[in-house]
Amino acid sequence: MKKFLSTLLIVAMVLSLAACGKKNTGDDNSDANAPYVAPDMTKTVTLNFWSICVPTDSNRDAYDKAIADMKAKYPNITLNELATQNDEYKGKIKDAFQAGQVADIFFTWSCAFLGDFVQAGQVYCLDNAFKDPDVKDAIDVKMCNNTIYNGKKYGVPLTMNIVTLFANLDILKEVGYSDVPATYDELMTCCDKLVAAGKIPFGCAAGAGQEWCVTEYVESIIEKSCGAKTLDDIFQRRASWGNADVANAINKFQEMIKKGYFDPNGQSMDNEQVKTNFMAGKYAFYINGSWNCADFAKATGLNVKASEFPVIDGSKSKLGQLIGGPSDTLAVFGKSENKEIAAKYALELGRLICKYCYLSGAGLPAWKVDYPATDINALTQAVADIVAKSDYLVLFGDTAMNSADKDIYLKEIAKVYGAQVDGQKFIDDLKGAIK
Amino acid sequence: MANDNKLGAPEGYTIKKSGPALRIISTILLIVWSIINLYPLFWMIMLSLKNNEQVNLTHKFGLPAGWPNKWHWENYTNPELHLERIVTYFKNSVIVTVLAIAIALVAAMMASYALMRFNWRASGAFNKMFMLGITVPVQVSLVPLLITTSELGITGSRISLIIPYAAFALSMAILISNGFMTNIPKELDEAAYIDGCSRYGVFFRIILPLMTPAISTIGIYSFLQCWNELIIATTLVTSEEMRTLPIGIRNLVGTNKVDYGLIGAGITIATIPMIIVYILMSRKIQESFIAGAVKG
Amino acid sequence: MKRKTSDTISIIVFLLPALILFFGILVAPIIISGYYSVFDWQFPFDKTFCGFQNYKKLFTTEWYPLWKGVKNVFLLAGLSLVIQLPLSLGLALMLGRGIKGERFFLSVNFLPVLISTVVIGLLWRRMYDADAGVINPLLRSVGIIGEENIQWLAANGDHLLMACIVPMLWQYVGYHMLLMYAGVKSVAPELREAAMIDGATTWQVDRFVVIPSMKQVLKVSVIFSVTGSLKSYDLVSILAGDRTYAAAVPSTVLMNTKSVGLYGMSSASAVVIIVLCFAAAVLINALFRERD
Repeated sequence: MKKFLSTLLIVAMVLSLAACGKKNTGDDNSDANAPYVAPDMTKTVTLNFWSICVPTDSNRDAYDKAIADMKAKYPNITLNELATQNDEYKGKIKDAFQAGQVADIFFTWSCAFLGDFVQAGQVYCLDNAFKDPDVKDAIDVKMCNNTIYNGKKYGVPLTMNIVTLFANLDILKEVGYSDVPATYDELMTCCDKLVAAGKIPFGCAAGAGQEWCVTEYVESIIEKSCGAKTLDDIFQRRASWGNADVANAINKFQEMIKKGYFDPNGQSMDNEQVKTNFMAGKYAFYINGSWNCADFAKATGLNVKASEFPVIDGSKSKLGQLIGGPSDTLAVFGKSENKEIAAKYALELGRLICKYCYLSGAGLPAWKVDYPATDINALTQAVADIVAKSDYLVLFGDTAMNSADKDIYLKEIAKVYGAQVDGQKFIDDLKGAIK
Repeated sequence: MANDNKLGAPEGYTIKKSGPALRIISTILLIVWSIINLYPLFWMIMLSLKNNEQVNLTHKFGLPAGWPNKWHWENYTNPELHLERIVTYFKNSVIVTVLAIAIALVAAMMASYALMRFNWRASGAFNKMFMLGITVPVQVSLVPLLITTSELGITGSRISLIIPYAAFALSMAILISNGFMTNIPKELDEAAYIDGCSRYGVFFRIILPLMTPAISTIGIYSFLQCWNELIIATTLVTSEEMRTLPIGIRNLVGTNKVDYGLIGAGITIATIPMIIVYILMSRKIQESFIAGAVKG
Repeated sequence: MKRKTSDTISIIVFLLPALILFFGILVAPIIISGYYSVFDWQFPFDKTFCGFQNYKKLFTTEWYPLWKGVKNVFLLAGLSLVIQLPLSLGLALMLGRGIKGERFFLSVNFLPVLISTVVIGLLWRRMYDADAGVINPLLRSVGIIGEENIQWLAANGDHLLMACIVPMLWQYVGYHMLLMYAGVKSVAPELREAAMIDGATTWQVDRFVVIPSMKQVLKVSVIFSVTGSLKSYDLVSILAGDRTYAAAVPSTVLMNTKSVGLYGMSSASAVVIIVLCFAAAVLINALFRERD
């Protein structure tokens, strides 16, 4: 019963999702009154679809099921999917846009990544497609906030994820804790005890281009120090990086490293190594995306709890302020020959991918859950509870920022983790580079 | 250099006079170096038989390769590997690589003949111009390539990979070819002209047969370049059926999931046939090098 | 006069395939890079002419460390010349002299070239692993490092550059060895025999008979090695990532700026790589010609 309740809660949750773009006017749709024009879905067409869902991806099953459903529903539409590895895809899609040769439907990340293509005028607006009576009420408009530019919808959200504090309860038990420490001070005391007992509290990768792992830690700490609104404004360039709270948060993070809370070998590890170490009981805590829930739930003999990072400064932040949101997105190429059909197809496909991903525990749904979802693993369920109780989601920094800002931010984050800069230098550098 | 043009038998090569001490030291050095070079192969096969926990945590003998305490043969039968796709990728890689090498070889030898065997003023300038080809980073050619291939209407076909691969191998091929061609004495050409051979006749009857060592050297060089090429292939190929092996290997890395054993199995399946072919061909390759001795 | 025209036609015929490939594929990127490199252009915004600002930025800013990259590849090229090539030459001479198991050694030493860079990168990542790898215990056992664990691959660490250079040097030893072996084998046996009869030692034969006759092969090896170093990318990207500062090479800067959408800066990096490689190739060619 509890499971079903929280599922309902997601549907009804009242939270403010970070929004994208300066001119973003949220729900305000410029031609809101124009009637819905339905495309002819009986036409025999071929749609090309680019994804990052390679055969070994954890979402592959969900994609296969969704595509099979779509093929059954529209036998006249041939969907050619081409999956490209994540890192390669980022280069491929940018080159393809420059040459004007993109697939009809393409995978993208919300906010800044898709925003660049929208700004270049090469993405098809989905306002009409979202008016389709079949899908109109199937998604909360807030979930589209990250893909609304100049008041127009351009993206189909798939799943959403948040940064989660995973704790290995068996290791916590060894130092006398039966639950995850609820406050920041308790968490620090717990870490001290772990270090004294020869345990490593945290593992965090920073090897070859994996700075994003560090941001999962840093952004959680910054948010709980300066508050969600402030961090959101900084990411969206509405406020300057020159914020003393941010500097202090960075110093706190580095203090944790100095006190030996972090596995020193993380400096040269990749995320998969760190994750394996955590699952093998080498670390007490692991802060990373909620997509890990399925893997942790599947692992035998692993007693993991998912929670949110405790509040550091109660006067500025509070529980319920999270990092995350809908990032994975589908969009339609503006020069596609069948863009109206592709738009409707993308919406329905995205909704199905979202459903099957959620059912497999690979992420939280961006679309409303209008199907029985009782088999969700307990960890994903716990994360769903956290999201249901949340009131502010700040999108991951590396999705929220435009690519040039993000690049500098990640370079600076690597320096923070490597102790080459302190909090003050961090905010000074970013203030100077991001104007 | 001497031009006695004697057919020195390859076997008659060993010089027996070098001291035994030198031979032993050489052999020991070679064995050590060989072990260092065999290790990646061993490690790759070990990787393919392990799961993530073994790869990241269990390290027997202090070696990261270690001996898996349990062999995970199922990595090879994992449906996520899509063996049938790897076979397709392999086929595509072979077709693309072989044709690209063939085109580069023919173009380079012909160009080299024109540059080295004709007396014309601009040959030096052309030579330098071709050298420009070595300097172009593959990454900057992607957008021009996308546009060119689409204008030629060959987007997504194998040709759209073969031509760029041949072009990128061209400059080094010309360089190697030039080197070998200067070693072929011009007197041979002259003699052929006196016998009534045309420019074309000399190229086909005299030059080409003597260029076998160049063919091997250029072949190996271009092979490496084409076989492992990932960036052009990722950008230009638009369908699953036309993809090449490097993309297949890269696609074994999931976004939030990396199964090292599976990657190992995929790479091993992709590498072993190549090593077998190399071993089978190495005799031919080495003989072609020795054939070079003929020209003196 | 007649022969002259037919020669001209022959020259055109023989050059044609190479010219088509060259102008069809290779010239466009060079020209486009040169053109875009003088524009301040960040995707998706419009480009504006900015003169040599991109180059200036690339050589001054710490965020896109082209200058650091150039220094790093010069070091790599230098080390290739003093470590990689002599090692390859030594192996080629040893094998070319005729040694038991010649074919076996030749094949085995060529193996790393055949194994994809992805595997090589993964393997070295594991070998460098601070507490579970082999490099730290190995260095400790011969007393080079003490008890401490060196973080070879730490993002901005002092050791990252060396950690990237070593596998790059190693990976292509086999390739150069094979190339040079072809050169060694092309020395007429009679020349060797003659020198031996004159009382030359093995070393003297190598030094005064074999190596001088390998000039063309050595030139190709040097050009390949130096331009390969200047353009190096794959292993650095796998071991250090495109955003690296400590181990930056011009190609990582190119890829980094390109992925960020800074197409002007990216094109300028490409031009720097093209100019460096071209200068190196011409210079090496000239040096080898001078020693005729």
